[in-house]
Amino acid sequence: MKKQTGKFFIFLLFISFAATSQEKFTLSGYVKDVSNGEGLIGVTVYNPETKLGTQTNVYGFYSITLPSGSYNFSLSYIGYKPLSRKIDLNTNLVVNFELSEEGKTLNEVVITAKKEDDNVRNLEMSVNKVEMKTIRKMPALLGEVDVIRSIQFLPGVSSVGEGASGFNVRGGAIDQNLVLMDEAPVYNSSHLFGFFSVFNPDVVKDVKLIKGGIPATYGGRVSSILDVRMKEGNSKKAEFTGGLGTIFSRFAYERPFVKDKGSFIVALRRSYIDLLAKPFLNSDLKGSKFYFYDFTAKANYKIDNKNTVFLSGYFGRDVFGADFGFNWGNATTTFRWNHVFNDKLFLNTTVFYSNYDYSLDSDTKNENDQDSFEWKSNIVNYSIKPDFNYYINTKNTLSFGGQVIYYSFNPGKATAVSGGESQTIGLDGKYAVESAVYVGNEQKINEKVSLSYGLRYSDYHYLGKGNAVILDESGKPGERKSVKDVKTYGKGENIQTYGNLEPRFALNVGLNNSSSLKLSYNRLAQYIHLLSNTTASSPLDVWTPSSNNIKPQLSDQVALGYFKNFADNEYESSVEVYYKSLQNQIDYVRNADLLLNPYVEADLLSGQGRAYGAEFYIKKNKGVFNGWISYTLARTERKVEGLNNFEWFPSRIDKLHNLSAVLIYDPGKKWSFSGNFSFASGTPASFPTNKFEWQGVALPHNYYDERNNYRIPASHRLDLSATRKNKHALFGKGESEWVFSVYNIYNRRNPFSVYVRQNEDNPAITEAIRYSVFASVLPAVTYNFKF
Amino acid sequence: MNFKKIILPILSLALTPFFFSCEDVIDLSVKDGVEQLVVDAWLTDENSVQTIKLTLSQPYFDNSPVKPALGATVIVFEEDSTAHTFTDKNNDGNYSFTPVKGSFLKLGKRHALYIKYKNEEYYSISTLPRVPKIDSLTYEEFRLPIAPENGKPRDGFLAQFYAKDPVGEGDTYWVKSKKNGKERNLPSQISVAYDAGFSPGSKSDGLLFILPVRQSINGGFDDIFYDKDTINVELRSISNEAFYFLLQVRQESSNGGIFGTPPANIPTNIFTLNSSSKNKALGFFAVSSVSKFETIVDKSKAKPKQ
Repeated sequence: MKKQTGKFFIFLLFISFAATSQEKFTLSGYVKDVSNGEGLIGVTVYNPETKLGTQTNVYGFYSITLPSGSYNFSLSYIGYKPLSRKIDLNTNLVVNFELSEEGKTLNEVVITAKKEDDNVRNLEMSVNKVEMKTIRKMPALLGEVDVIRSIQFLPGVSSVGEGASGFNVRGGAIDQNLVLMDEAPVYNSSHLFGFFSVFNPDVVKDVKLIKGGIPATYGGRVSSILDVRMKEGNSKKAEFTGGLGTIFSRFAYERPFVKDKGSFIVALRRSYIDLLAKPFLNSDLKGSKFYFYDFTAKANYKIDNKNTVFLSGYFGRDVFGADFGFNWGNATTTFRWNHVFNDKLFLNTTVFYSNYDYSLDSDTKNENDQDSFEWKSNIVNYSIKPDFNYYINTKNTLSFGGQVIYYSFNPGKATAVSGGESQTIGLDGKYAVESAVYVGNEQKINEKVSLSYGLRYSDYHYLGKGNAVILDESGKPGERKSVKDVKTYGKGENIQTYGNLEPRFALNVGLNNSSSLKLSYNRLAQYIHLLSNTTASSPLDVWTPSSNNIKPQLSDQVALGYFKNFADNEYESSVEVYYKSLQNQIDYVRNADLLLNPYVEADLLSGQGRAYGAEFYIKKNKGVFNGWISYTLARTERKVEGLNNFEWFPSRIDKLHNLSAVLIYDPGKKWSFSGNFSFASGTPASFPTNKFEWQGVALPHNYYDERNNYRIPASHRLDLSATRKNKHALFGKGESEWVFSVYNIYNRRNPFSVYVRQNEDNPAITEAIRYSVFASVLPAVTYNFKF
Repeated sequence: MNFKKIILPILSLALTPFFFSCEDVIDLSVKDGVEQLVVDAWLTDENSVQTIKLTLSQPYFDNSPVKPALGATVIVFEEDSTAHTFTDKNNDGNYSFTPVKGSFLKLGKRHALYIKYKNEEYYSISTLPRVPKIDSLTYEEFRLPIAPENGKPRDGFLAQFYAKDPVGEGDTYWVKSKKNGKERNLPSQISVAYDAGFSPGSKSDGLLFILPVRQSINGGFDDIFYDKDTINVELRSISNEAFYFLLQVRQESSNGGIFGTPPANIPTNIFTLNSSSKNKALGFFAVSSVSKFETIVDKSKAKPKQ
């Protein structure tokens, strides 16, 4: 199969050379923000006469090749003032542009020379970008701006309940999203069990969610890519930003360290509800801890015109405990090297380390306890990832590269000290290497038609040192399998290999100036899986590699979309339909034992999944009023042998209707206002039909033995916020704002889950319970500053 | 796994005051299933009255009293075919039998339960497993992190029993305890062990029971022992099947909220003689060997707080 990939690659190169025969010159360079020197991602560089153009890559680099001549180039980017420049192209040129933000005053907003019809013209579909500016303006839970909570207002995105960890994209589980922070995967994107995400909004530069038509560059998860890029740090001047909120405070400092060469940003957040609560707690609770913090830092250094290096890191931790301790968190480090070989060939090489771990101690105060209990689990990975962009000509942009990831899993090791005698109850480590090579081309066939096609080949090895559990597959489907044998493998020995060809395809057919039809197909493979059968994912859930028993998950998705802009691109709209077929989906036997179980694979089931739906989206980009409405009609189902008579049944995250609206009113004066509304159908739940008595206790029984036989009530909610801008921040400098927000303004008790239980006082009596995470109106005040 | 079941509810509780969560009882209508015979037959090798309770299942939200299954024939057979007939003396569904010393249940031997109810015949088989001796029961001074709701003092004692799992993998146990004669019988308080640990494959065979098992005889965060309390510990050997039955009873009885798992039916080991019959029964038949230990808390003998 590798040979095929090679042939494909050569074929693509051949196309490109065939197309470059007449005398042409290349214009290339970076596009940056004039105020802080941040590279801008996805800026359109366009020549109106020839109707040819390109976009900056994730580092702000662009390259465009045209026959010699004199051209007008216009640069446009949402939220920035358009820029036009006449350039005589009779030699290869390097030109760096700087754009400035619009919208400082109302008048400037109106002067928009360039049509923003990028959403219609480009090849991307099933992609949502949310500006950090917009995220900041949306009403936030407890006043804390949050990336992941905000993207839940986008079409096709949902969560199992308010405050649940992670998010679901087009019927995919939370572990099927590749959440990238500066290219390093984040394994648990939540703080406080899911109330807030790990991304510090002061450091985030760009958020892009790819739900379909996923380019060959990306791989490793089957549902979506959330690509979060961090700021590089202000390269013009020192800047201090921060905020004091209800739950936590944030501080960020950024500045150049070598003029025009290097800059950095460091940012810190810490929750302080525990500090605030402390004076009110009685003496013994003073030892209790409950907080989170995170630290984000990034530096970049431009060695010369051809080489730039970036170093970024994240370290976050949630700590919870009293007489026992429980803490968990992610750490990532990314080193990147941007190298411009020439004006057409751009290389980024990323090397990253990512770690997620948790630990649980029976007693954190006592170091030399005779009896103690400690439990640790982690997932660590190291990766190298070169990505090339080759700007062949105005019609073809080739991207190719590869990735190697080395995984080390510690699924859980518990050390119990008992009467001074230590015993380890634990699972051995697991190791795996996932690698991939890919090539993709974006090709402009003519003015109306463009397409992108690519192929990714992923290859996976489950390695020793470790044990391969051999299961008896002859048992009753849906039941725990018995273990036939356990084979031990030495260090580095290959236990299991998988490989997958992942074709990607996208087509854009322009219908007229303001509308287009888009079609995409992608296949994705996923080799690591989060074992979680709780309603919401918990920090204790363990990632596990594909093995001789767990096959890699595969998804095939087809999406078709119609994109149209109205009123001089003031409004953009889209309708997309998708169908996703999923293979080797992990499900769990009845009463599965997922933690500290060496034979956990015996408790897993494998099934098929399918998800399909329609997404409607209309967005107003400009003006005093802006915002969007999105509506998703969707189904997500499973078919697993041994469950629900091997028939399709709704999956845990199925929500038929999902409506969101975000409205922002910003007249550019002292006050601005915003509101969010969301409505979502209830998720399915499983309930007993009958009960029976055992030792005086009423036990539940489902006579039909079916999962998800009931649906919990729908949820809806309205949030509002008002922002008051002040001219001066601290010490009479900079700017600041007060944000007043109210979450769940009409005090709806949205059910997170509904479950049944025995009455606490009399276990013979049974009742149904609605559990709401936010069962009241939640007002909050936040003060943000910048100077 | 146990820890998850212990830790997550605590975490959820801890989050409650901060995040304004709320639980309320609501009405729910679900389609009922068909009424089934329920067998509650947990017998021990002790010389005390042994009871098998037969009842009928009912719709989940029907909170009327449980109906007994009357007029059944109930017999327990030893492996050598000796029959012990259980009779419903009070006509309330409690079928009982008083064994003569040493004549009931044999270690390592199989025992069969036979029930005939409304023309349907049911059976189940269970082997009597071994149980180790409880060597001792100790208690140490302990201060509850939060004042208990029942108004009892925060300072009390945390007890643990000492026993060693015999060598040989796959012994399973049910740890039962009583405080002043009152059994801790909430499903969430069910404590089971697999060898000396919590689950198979945990490499704890032949060891002293691990700390969380030894301390599982305490009632939890609002129920500790005080001076002069009587502590009774009963270690019952159970079959692996019974171990999973109890695990699931506990799981299904405290399953909900943010970290709820998909409910699963609690298994049964009661079968119809006519395997194609639709009148399936619910419940469980288990035979156990028992080790007991009793002590009265004397504060002068307590280990000091660490």
